[in-house]
Amino acid sequence: MMKITSRLRRIHFLCRCAALLLAIGGTAKATTLMRMSVAQMSRAAQVIVRARCQENSTGWDAGEIWTFTSFEVQDVWRGSAPSRITVRLLGGRAGNLTSSVSGVPRFRVGEEVVLFLERTPRGDFCIVSWEQGTFRIRRTAATGSESVTQDSASFATFDRGTREFESAGIRNLPIETLRAQVDAAVSAEARRKQ
Amino acid sequence: MKPSIAVGMAILLVFVLLGGPSAQAYLLDSTIPQAGGCPAYDRWNLSLASPLNRRWSTSLPEGPPTLVTVAAQGSAAQLAEIEQVITDSFGAWSGVTGTTFNATNYPGLIAPLAQVSAANSCSNDAESNVDGLNTICFNQSSMGFSTGVLAFTRVITANAPGISVGASATAAFAGQILDADSLFRPDGQATFATPAALATSAGAYDLESLLAHEIGHWFGFDHSAVWRALMFPFAPPPGQFLGSRPTAQAPDGPLSDDDRTGIRLLYPDPNDTVNIGAIRGRVLPANPFALAAIPAPSQGASVTGIFGAHVVAVDTDTGSVIAGTLGGWSCDSSSSVLRFDGSFDIERLPVGRNYMIYAEPLVGLATPSDFSGALNDLCASGSAAPCTTPAVDTNFNPRILPAGP
Repeated sequence: MMKITSRLRRIHFLCRCAALLLAIGGTAKATTLMRMSVAQMSRAAQVIVRARCQENSTGWDAGEIWTFTSFEVQDVWRGSAPSRITVRLLGGRAGNLTSSVSGVPRFRVGEEVVLFLERTPRGDFCIVSWEQGTFRIRRTAATGSESVTQDSASFATFDRGTREFESAGIRNLPIETLRAQVDAAVSAEARRKQ
Repeated sequence: MKPSIAVGMAILLVFVLLGGPSAQAYLLDSTIPQAGGCPAYDRWNLSLASPLNRRWSTSLPEGPPTLVTVAAQGSAAQLAEIEQVITDSFGAWSGVTGTTFNATNYPGLIAPLAQVSAANSCSNDAESNVDGLNTICFNQSSMGFSTGVLAFTRVITANAPGISVGASATAAFAGQILDADSLFRPDGQATFATPAALATSAGAYDLESLLAHEIGHWFGFDHSAVWRALMFPFAPPPGQFLGSRPTAQAPDGPLSDDDRTGIRLLYPDPNDTVNIGAIRGRVLPANPFALAAIPAPSQGASVTGIFGAHVVAVDTDTGSVIAGTLGGWSCDSSSSVLRFDGSFDIERLPVGRNYMIYAEPLVGLATPSDFSGALNDLCASGSAAPCTTPAVDTNFNPRILPAGP
């Protein structure tokens, strides 16, 4: 058993190494997304909120099927937002048709998230860099502490210097730390403008 | 410390020749038929009389230009250079043997690449505007392009026979793709270089890698969790490309075996005698009571296996990842009952080879949100038998039977 497991892990690791050495030289980029730091996203976002998903609906607009997800805003980290906002996400189901767009986040009712948002010409919001501007909140039952994980923080990258895999993006970060990073980026931008 | 609901896993393996009904999600999009029934893969219904139409808009952004070519901007040679990249990107998929899309064995299933001049050829502001024409656009704005979004592909499918949009064929089955369009960001936030221009275009993304990936979505692919796969959600950074460049001898060079297995599954060549193997089984927790706390997906049903495990087939002789799938459910085609029982099904494997199977939680390599399309479609709103897709189980440690404690 141990021999099999060990061999399996070795094969798995070698597969990862080979694939990465072939495919990835340094940092990874999303097929559809430009990699952005929290600071960059904080500057790009007009509004940053902590919110709870309330409802999903779909409909046509501008020749596209959209999923409109409404959120109850729990806290505003940047900009101003009403107590309830609507975020438009590409894709969804309308009548007998389904529009599929890979890489667009979807939300469950009751789920709590931090979202980096831009206003659309329609007056609702879209998410900066889709998955990258989406952070899911997880609460530890025992301690009540909260952490966030970025939707795009899913892929380990191979560091040639250390020859180890390192996860890109933000995973299990205390929510206070993310808030501090956002505040720092916003403050720095304000100082630069002055 | 992170609680673990399962300390062991049983993988029941059956290596059989293909023949039984396929009822697994793989990493492909699927549709719940309006009339009820098992999820159906999203795919085209093509024949020589109704080949895959495809066109691209020659309207290119000028201020600033986003497409970098060796040929001069605005010249006919530039259009030819871009068109060659599009052709090669399609060729990567039509170069795979064992599929009905194979250009050598089944010429004519993909129509010649046409040109259109209008910028907004992928859609316009008219409500419900889906033209049934499959188009690549480089100069069309969209509210989908929030900051940081480089390109996206929108695929329209029907959930019942008899549905059509614009110039599309009328759907013959649920899950039939009626329209696919790819939009590249036109506003200058990013630039895309042809292979010939990539080396000298600082900061530009490889157009061929992105196009071949987006065209994979045209064929019905969701993202893959296999590192080397073209359909892996992350592409190389600017200045780099995936796999090898297509050649006359190996037009499918940019693809991985995982991509090849996927397209063989979607569009199998009935005359293929090589890629006809399948490995099926279930991923189960050592302690079945660990599943008791998971909410029932529908009335009277329960979750009886690990849902959302990434199950991978590795060629034991070469170490290559041949295919990966997202396991966790099955569907009885006779009763249309969807069960979240931990089932997985890896099909279209080359026969006569030895495989090792492993399952891993969707953490580290990829997370459930990367595959939300494939997972969410399992329980589609409006289906005849409504259900709620369980949360993906990422909290288990895999072991192989015969296992210890």
